[in-house]
Amino acid sequence: MSNENRPIVDPSKVLQERLKELNCIYGISTLIQDPSIGLDETLDKSMQLIQNAYQYPDITCVRIRSGDKIFTTPNFRETEWVQSSPIAFRKKAIGAIEVFYMEEREALEEGPFMHEERRLLNAVADLLSTYIERQDITLKLNGFETKDKATDKNDWEIILELLIKTDPRGALRITRRMIYYLYRIQNEEITSLLANVCPINSKEMEWCGINIPNPKEDAKELQRVQSKVFEIAKKAIPTEEISDLFQTWLKSDKGRPLLIASQKQGISLGDMTSEINRYWDIPEDARALMPEDERAISAGLIRRFFTARLKYLNVAKDYITLDDFVDLTKRVIGPLQGEGKLGGKSSGLYLAHKIVEVEKKRVKELQHIKTPKSWYLTSDTMMHLIRYNDLDDLINIKYLDPTEITQEQAFLEQLFKNSVFPPDIVSGLRSILNDVGDKPIIVRSSSLLEDSFEAAFSGKYKSLFLVNSGPMEDRLNHLMNAIAEIYACVFAPSPLEYRRERGLLEFSEEMSILIQEVVGTRVGPYFLPIYAGVSLSNNEFRWSPRIRREDGMIRIVAGLGTRAVDRVGDDYPVLMAPFRPEIRVNRLIDEAIQYSQRFIDLINIEKGTLETVDCADLLKKYWDEYPQVHQIVSMHKEGMLQPARNVLVDMEGAEMVVTFDKIIEKTDLIPQIKALLTVLKNILHTPVDIEFAHDGQNLYLLQCRPQHQGAEVGRIPVPKNIPSARKLFTGNKYITTSHIENIEYIVYVDPGEYADLKERNHMLDVARAVSMLNKLLPRRRFVLMGPGRWGSRGDIKLGVPIQYSDINNTSLLIEIARQRGGYQPDLSFGTHFFQDLVEADIHYLPLYPDEPGNLLNEDFIAYAPNKLAEVVPKYQYLENVVKVIRISDIEDGGTLTVIMDGEANLALAYTVPADHWIWRVRKAEEIAESMDAELYGVKAIYIIGSSKDATARAASDLDLVIHVSDSPEKTESLMRWLKNWDAKLAAENQERTGVDTETILDIHLVTDQDIKAKTSWATHIDNPYNPARQIRLKGKIAAE
Amino acid sequence: MDKGFNAFKMAQEQFDKIAEQLELDQATRDLLRTPAREYHFLIPVKMDDGTIKIFKGFRMQHNDARGPCKGGIRFHPQETVDTVKALSMWMTWKCAVADIPLGGGKGGVICDPHNLSMREQEAICRGWVRQIYKNVGPQADVPAPDVMTNSQHMLWILDEYEILTGSHYPGFITGKPVGMGGSLGRTEATGYAAVFALREACKDLEIDISKSTASIQGFGNVGQYAIEMYMKYGGTVKAISCWDQKESKAYTFLRPNGIDLKELRGITDKFGTIDKKKAKELGYDIQEGHVWAEQDVDILIPAALENSITGEVAEKIKPQVKILLEGANGPTTPEADKILNQKKIMVIPDFLANSGGVVCSYFEQVQSNMNYFWTKDEVLGKLDDKMTEAFYSVLELSKKKKCSLRDAAYMIAISRVAEACRLRGWV
Repeated sequence: MSNENRPIVDPSKVLQERLKELNCIYGISTLIQDPSIGLDETLDKSMQLIQNAYQYPDITCVRIRSGDKIFTTPNFRETEWVQSSPIAFRKKAIGAIEVFYMEEREALEEGPFMHEERRLLNAVADLLSTYIERQDITLKLNGFETKDKATDKNDWEIILELLIKTDPRGALRITRRMIYYLYRIQNEEITSLLANVCPINSKEMEWCGINIPNPKEDAKELQRVQSKVFEIAKKAIPTEEISDLFQTWLKSDKGRPLLIASQKQGISLGDMTSEINRYWDIPEDARALMPEDERAISAGLIRRFFTARLKYLNVAKDYITLDDFVDLTKRVIGPLQGEGKLGGKSSGLYLAHKIVEVEKKRVKELQHIKTPKSWYLTSDTMMHLIRYNDLDDLINIKYLDPTEITQEQAFLEQLFKNSVFPPDIVSGLRSILNDVGDKPIIVRSSSLLEDSFEAAFSGKYKSLFLVNSGPMEDRLNHLMNAIAEIYACVFAPSPLEYRRERGLLEFSEEMSILIQEVVGTRVGPYFLPIYAGVSLSNNEFRWSPRIRREDGMIRIVAGLGTRAVDRVGDDYPVLMAPFRPEIRVNRLIDEAIQYSQRFIDLINIEKGTLETVDCADLLKKYWDEYPQVHQIVSMHKEGMLQPARNVLVDMEGAEMVVTFDKIIEKTDLIPQIKALLTVLKNILHTPVDIEFAHDGQNLYLLQCRPQHQGAEVGRIPVPKNIPSARKLFTGNKYITTSHIENIEYIVYVDPGEYADLKERNHMLDVARAVSMLNKLLPRRRFVLMGPGRWGSRGDIKLGVPIQYSDINNTSLLIEIARQRGGYQPDLSFGTHFFQDLVEADIHYLPLYPDEPGNLLNEDFIAYAPNKLAEVVPKYQYLENVVKVIRISDIEDGGTLTVIMDGEANLALAYTVPADHWIWRVRKAEEIAESMDAELYGVKAIYIIGSSKDATARAASDLDLVIHVSDSPEKTESLMRWLKNWDAKLAAENQERTGVDTETILDIHLVTDQDIKAKTSWATHIDNPYNPARQIRLKGKIAAE
Repeated sequence: MDKGFNAFKMAQEQFDKIAEQLELDQATRDLLRTPAREYHFLIPVKMDDGTIKIFKGFRMQHNDARGPCKGGIRFHPQETVDTVKALSMWMTWKCAVADIPLGGGKGGVICDPHNLSMREQEAICRGWVRQIYKNVGPQADVPAPDVMTNSQHMLWILDEYEILTGSHYPGFITGKPVGMGGSLGRTEATGYAAVFALREACKDLEIDISKSTASIQGFGNVGQYAIEMYMKYGGTVKAISCWDQKESKAYTFLRPNGIDLKELRGITDKFGTIDKKKAKELGYDIQEGHVWAEQDVDILIPAALENSITGEVAEKIKPQVKILLEGANGPTTPEADKILNQKKIMVIPDFLANSGGVVCSYFEQVQSNMNYFWTKDEVLGKLDDKMTEAFYSVLELSKKKKCSLRDAAYMIAISRVAEACRLRGWV
């Protein structure tokens, strides 16, 4: 069977050929079974099938001679390149099938013909011979039966015989299918037959298949089994049923090229797409896939286009079907030879979309949820563009010094913007624009890193809106401009820094692009969704003890969701818990007004710009055009928030407040979001983070990803091995997930002392002291701890009467519920300014130190020196009430870390010792990593001194011994380069420790001669007692 | 009992001081230094999740010698009884100084509305009335909105009361919306009324209000209407200090030849923040928040925060300033009070200056009881009469007793209540 001499050809091409042959055999066997078709017609049609089965149908012609009849294809011409096979009647040759090539082709096994073609031709000749014989008898019997009287064979047996002759592997596949089928109908004979294949029947075979290989049976045995299988089948299954099975199996064989392509690693976009289309072009009644093949194909395609992550694949294969890819591939653009994927964002959304599509049959709330029309640029399109424009050196940017990256970024972005898009991509983009028309679109990054490492790249990469109006060429240019800008982002300092921090720098980041139609509607000159937002399965901002973590969260705004996705600081989306909509954050009317949306983001179609306009002005002006506006806003009048539909409410005299009250109460939004969160969480087995928008008609799902990967901080479990002396507190009630590091100060208002203050003015002074500390302590580097309710008004015994602006620089706000006289005060959960905390990303934690499992280390606080008088001398008299503790006073140079694990409902604050030497070693490594050793003539770098001995303090030097070349110019430029580093390190060290040193680096240069002579610093290098630590240089492995 | 600060103790000490000056007898002192009646009761509420939760409700009726008790109902998670007692006492004095025929009360429910759905809050309101309806009513004790309650809560309370009594009693509650028994002019009342008092003070000090200048802290409801009325009288407002929500700090907007109220309102959002950029374009000079109190003007009106006039601030007040009108609650610290006194600045105390609100509530009650509602002009006219009268009584007494208006106001209030008790034969 094998043919070693043959050149290795593309296996999928071979498959194509096999498929053509199968078509031929299948076609002819169908023809000869059709009693309505006469002999002449059968022969005539067979010629066509034969012609198409050959490698070059265009230059192939066929002649069939049978007795005195001669049939030829219309293009028939006799040539020297011929392959023929005799037609026999009762074992006597009466004619032949002849296939001619009308042009010369490269020589193969038999002239220009393939080995397989010979087999095929012989098989067809056999088939036709049998047919002519049978036809003769049939004519004589003047009737037709499925059974061939002459040979007493069923049609399927004829096919099988043919297959065995022409395509033994195909025959084996059919055999295996028959075996499964028999298994399935629980045929006992088949079981015993197979049990006897390679029986273990002797002592020496005991270990077969365990520790020694099973013996190999020869091919004859397989053939025996094969024929035995069909004997069993013939007995067990009615003929018609076998015929049907054969038909289906033969049809399903047409899916084999697709199956094989889908399982192929690194198959190109072009090949994969054409394979999918080829399969789909087979008439529907002529193709069928076995369920297991179909699953294998869709799993393969999911791996190819989306991701090979098992977690994803396991879910996706139940929801994304083969049919989906036919449509999807029409929307995928990329280099045809490329292997790029669609990236994390696209994968997440596509799967969520399919889940919704499937589950809506079961969950009626999902019925009207849609996904915007989307197109995809594969991840390798970026590299394609880079190579096309000879920008390959960009790849190394990630190794540059961050300051250099920052400096270069603007230039780099322009470089991308001015690069020329390859023609295939341009034509793809053109077709997208034709498809979308002049509707606004959004171009979003869909990173592979985001997917592969489940890293939260949110906000690191861009999403760009395009108005997309005007002439085609303009629209195209704008689109390319946006894509280029997103590509440039891959090389921007902030994502690179993020990757550096997480050790992802070496992952070759490829950026896919997701292009979506913007969900929205026209309002005046604007285009915008009537509302949009984000929703999370887990609520990490519980504003009331009655809200459970699993009650979820929604942030919603009128207009584009940009204001809900990002925290804009001075504006407020409506916050709510979808599973607890009645417990609103801003319950009081004043709060509802203060924390309401002021501005709205939208697209100005006429000007072609993205704008932010005053929310109330817009809604008033376009009141009659803005869908559902009366449900989005409430009217503030007479001390009440009233529904805007109330005809008695005079628009002029009332204030408009965005509350979403009636949207929440009266529309399907909440049930829809609840259904989405529930279904997606259950099916994806992870809490989710979704984005949504409403165009006035339908709710659209815009994004879906695991929540931990989303905007909020990932879960870090509370460490178990912290010695109790280093613990400041632990908590186990109402914990939300977050972690805060590098805290330098604690501001502690003693609950007991505060309650004992005799004068109201003194309590107000505590608030003033806190306010001043808030301004003087390093921003976000201190924690505020105090009794009861921060921000109390009226009865200020309950808590320190600060306002939000008095605490807005803290990183964590803690309320301590100390029991007094057997009763435990309620905490505020920050309700007075809850939403300010959320928008500013200030964390909140309630502590119940008198409850079991909670700890407040009062020794820690009592014995630490109080810095209050130093920081705010004015309030020295409050020293026993307000404690300002500097962590580094307790733990030399250390900081405080607070880990809050909402999942486990545990929180822990503990001190972390300073790590000055680790920081120094890391910096030395960074220097080595970014150094151009060749340029500066550097041969090796070593660390010595305190940084090496792990004894460095906050103000210590970083001693480096650098082995340099003899070139003074190179050394000079090295020192210049290091000087820049030094300044940067000193600044960074001051930032992290507060210690101001002019320099950090202490450089000691040594040359070959020094080393040879073992002079001065060179002695450190291989000092046997305390050898220097060598740092790896970029591209060099240890010292030469 | 806690060792620390106690509002009720403070209110009692304040009362004791005045009682001493008025030489009240012991029985009157005993009667007035504690609420006459305290009601404590439990309100079972079926929560949204089907469980029952018991809330604590209460009502303090400090004194009703001059008429039905009047005072708010507050929702607060940790209200102390002492705070409410103190507040009910202050209500008695407040009604008395404005010379309206009402006494003092205060009540509430221990709860945090942030943790409650609207339905649960309605159940609390209705439950509150069911427990106490026999002891309150338009002729006995009249509630109003207070901390964390609003007119919606009041309407639920009114509705439940009317269901229980089987009749309509719009006079049972004040703070209702117009059309539901509310009074016109309520929005303007406090700001306007403060300026009515100011107008009379100017007359007394022989300042021509139409030629006077003022500087104001706060551009909220009280501030804006005070400015409106003051400018109607021809006064010039040179500076306004206003809280900037976005920046969480205050700025002073100055224009030497006077601000244009309409113009400023046009560039103020619903949160009371003036747009700095637009103000600059309109020719306003923008400076730090504290600058407002350091202006060469005749009148200072703190109408924003408690304790904003500290000793430090008072020291910096310019000699030209003659009157300080307390539009806010407790804007002046005791230390500052002393300095202002030394500087011979007339301080119109908060509980006289901002009593326009309670007077308007009284008018609402009167109109509701009559079931006949006045025009806005009628309400504001009557308000002017009441304020003018109240101011002169206080002014005369302060002259007679050579004390501050603040002390005089307390003396007048307490003596009016004491007199009513005596006439009723209680003491």
